[in-house]
Amino acid sequence: MRIYAANVELRGRDRRDALESERRDAFGDASKVKRNVEKSVAAKTQTLDDAPTLPMTEAAYLPGIAYDEMFTPDGEVRKHYDPLHGRMSTLGAEELAGRQRTLERSFLLQGITFTVYGAENTTERIIPTDLFPRIIPAAEWSKIEAGLTQRLQALNLFLADIYGDQQILMDGVVPRELVLGAPSYRREMQHLYVPHKAYANVCGSDLIRQQDGEFAVLEDNLRVPSGVSYMLANRDAAKRTFPGTYRAAGVRPVERYPDLLLSTLKSMAADWRNEPQVVVLTPGVYNSAYYEHAYLARLMGVPLVEGRDLVVHENMVYMRTTTGLRRIDVIYRRVDDDFIDPLTFRRDSSLGAAGLFNAYRAGNVVICNAPGTGVADDKAVYAYVPDIIRYYLGEEAILPNIETFLCREPRQLQHVLKNLDQYVVKAVGASGGYGMLVGPHASQKERDAFAEAIKADPENYIAQPTIQLSTAPCLVDGRIEPRHVDLRPFILSGEKTIVTPGALTRVALKRGSLVVNSSQGGGSKDTWVLAEENGHSNGHGNGSVRP
Amino acid sequence: MMLARVADSLYWLGRYIERAEHLSRLSSVMLNATLDQTGSGAHAVWIAMAAVGEPGDGESVGSFEAAEALVLNRGDPNSVVSSLARARENARQVRDQITTETWERLNLLYLKVTDGDAAKAFAGGSDNFLHDVIADLHLFKGAADTTMSHGESWRFMMLGIYMERAQLVSRLLEVCFAESPVHGQLDDHVALVSLLRMACALEPYLRVYTAEIEPRHILEFLVFDEDFPRSIRFATAQIEQHLSAMARAIGGERAGPERLAGRLKARLQFADVDELEAVGAGPLLTTVVNECARIHEAIYETFVAYPLETRLPA
Repeated sequence: MRIYAANVELRGRDRRDALESERRDAFGDASKVKRNVEKSVAAKTQTLDDAPTLPMTEAAYLPGIAYDEMFTPDGEVRKHYDPLHGRMSTLGAEELAGRQRTLERSFLLQGITFTVYGAENTTERIIPTDLFPRIIPAAEWSKIEAGLTQRLQALNLFLADIYGDQQILMDGVVPRELVLGAPSYRREMQHLYVPHKAYANVCGSDLIRQQDGEFAVLEDNLRVPSGVSYMLANRDAAKRTFPGTYRAAGVRPVERYPDLLLSTLKSMAADWRNEPQVVVLTPGVYNSAYYEHAYLARLMGVPLVEGRDLVVHENMVYMRTTTGLRRIDVIYRRVDDDFIDPLTFRRDSSLGAAGLFNAYRAGNVVICNAPGTGVADDKAVYAYVPDIIRYYLGEEAILPNIETFLCREPRQLQHVLKNLDQYVVKAVGASGGYGMLVGPHASQKERDAFAEAIKADPENYIAQPTIQLSTAPCLVDGRIEPRHVDLRPFILSGEKTIVTPGALTRVALKRGSLVVNSSQGGGSKDTWVLAEENGHSNGHGNGSVRP
Repeated sequence: MMLARVADSLYWLGRYIERAEHLSRLSSVMLNATLDQTGSGAHAVWIAMAAVGEPGDGESVGSFEAAEALVLNRGDPNSVVSSLARARENARQVRDQITTETWERLNLLYLKVTDGDAAKAFAGGSDNFLHDVIADLHLFKGAADTTMSHGESWRFMMLGIYMERAQLVSRLLEVCFAESPVHGQLDDHVALVSLLRMACALEPYLRVYTAEIEPRHILEFLVFDEDFPRSIRFATAQIEQHLSAMARAIGGERAGPERLAGRLKARLQFADVDELEAVGAGPLLTTVVNECARIHEAIYETFVAYPLETRLPA
């Protein structure tokens, strides 16, 4: 029938590309499987008698051997958790379950979902969100803030160096072949001017709290980190779920993130372009992080473009608008390096724009994050980050790494081989098909076989001790139970470096699991960074914002 | 200034919203008409099914099954649920352009009709179900009207709504007055009332013509009325108005779609019902449908899929 025209055809190619570009979960973790995943140790559980009790938990709350965010090992409530603990104790199971349902409903309504495309039908799923916030006291946060600022500054200097004169490689601080041989190293970026040396404009580092209560960096994320929309959505939800507790706690606001992001992006544009046009580049509606792309574009008030909206003409990038072509100055791209320009990178990609990279080289457009930043969050380079910080800044790293042994170093190799039963050993190579060895869980025979493999190709392996993630209270099946959490703060870097006073706390919702990835049963919760040391109200509600 | 792709999605969002509303209303009226076991009930079913392009003889399939398929069949691209799914898909593509209030209305409705229990809810009270769907669509339009800036985004959506409406009403009238009807001349009171209901026109009609339900008056009202928002004349005037406003934004020489729309508007302004009765409603209704198709193409050529060479900076 003539009048039933239609416009929605599955754009097969886009969709395939979108799915392909996307071996990642909804928080955008690309193919890098979390190192902590394999590092479970058999959790030693406390007995019921040791456990602190919460009124509504039938079984007592058993934190296990990991550091617990709410309780001290003696079962005392940590001071900054007092108000929340009080509220948790007074609200009944019914009321909590009701609030949790309201929360989930509001996520579904807002469309904070990812779409699962099935053969028969498509469904909308929300990423599980826990209603209890995770609370971080001011003093701990100031250390995190300083540590992350230091780390990102050093990594940006490192990127500027390896894509410039390569002084650090000349000085032998980081092995040359490790950097230049990494698949994420982009030769095309060599000697390219990047304003403020800010290669990674948006960084999401994954931190974990170790058993001793100290935060350590598990992974840097300098490519296309995501999850920030969940940080904002969780905050919005937490304010509605625990309004009184929130007001009294004195929580530092995160709501400025979109305008700080916009000013960071604008600071990357050339000086002579007044009123630079910023856009967000998304792989499209089939990408699982699409909600976030649209959300950031909407809150920044800039267009959300796809590759097919872009036209490159004489090394200028334009977008097709209803009133003709319009020039673009800054592209906040949420598309991986490989897919942004079929002429320079992957030829079969239709998610980017042909000629985009040349326009970038010509200085007519800025791509944020810069292509090639992935080399600085590479697994093997990670081990050198403390050295990198020392080299460029002359300082010791404020936030420690997880101890990592590089089998390429003969002495470290000997140590690893001697103590194989204590380490998790992992292939660095991009293929990763060699698998890994979880030392404490492997048999002697497996360890021997793996030792041979390591000896045959030591450069391809790193080893780390098994680590624990801290636990925080979560509402699971109507009970309050401890679940393992990590912490992903977001750092912006342009003219200035800014750490958002908040983070995405990711939760492993399965009991005992250390896997926080949303693709494998992970969820998230809000993170409250307190303005005051003791977390108590200063009488001015949440107005106590530190500069 | 907005992205061409975004304009396209907003336009289609409008069209699918209007289509979903129209289909819901057809189903609702059809189900209601068959409550009385008379020939006019069958006539109403025939009108509705012919208007969606599946005439049949009105009896081979039960009206409930027909209505259920029209509303809930996801396999049929022209069902209510498919239209809403496509409307939402388009809205998702332009999520940054529409307000949260507007989005939430549509998302809520989408979740409702795609819910696993939707078929049960429909069977348990199809009238309520359809009433709620239509009411939700009105809420969507209201939210768009009161929360979105009445700028370019909104205009593209309204353009889609009125383009779709002009064509759907024309099609409905074609079925009733222009094609050789299987059921003979349309003069049955119940069928005529059903027709007015399908165009959501019963109450406004009564206000103008009182309870004298005459084919001539219905035709005059649905084609030429200046104030009724579902008359073809009203819809074409809106199309012309939105296109002129957009053309002013582009500026200057490219006078494509708004010229076509102006011509169609004038055609309806200067025709009257006597003329229709003299030559039959067919030619005019066909003109409307064809002209809408041309305007649709011109919108694409001007705003969405224009050749790049003409727009490159010198």
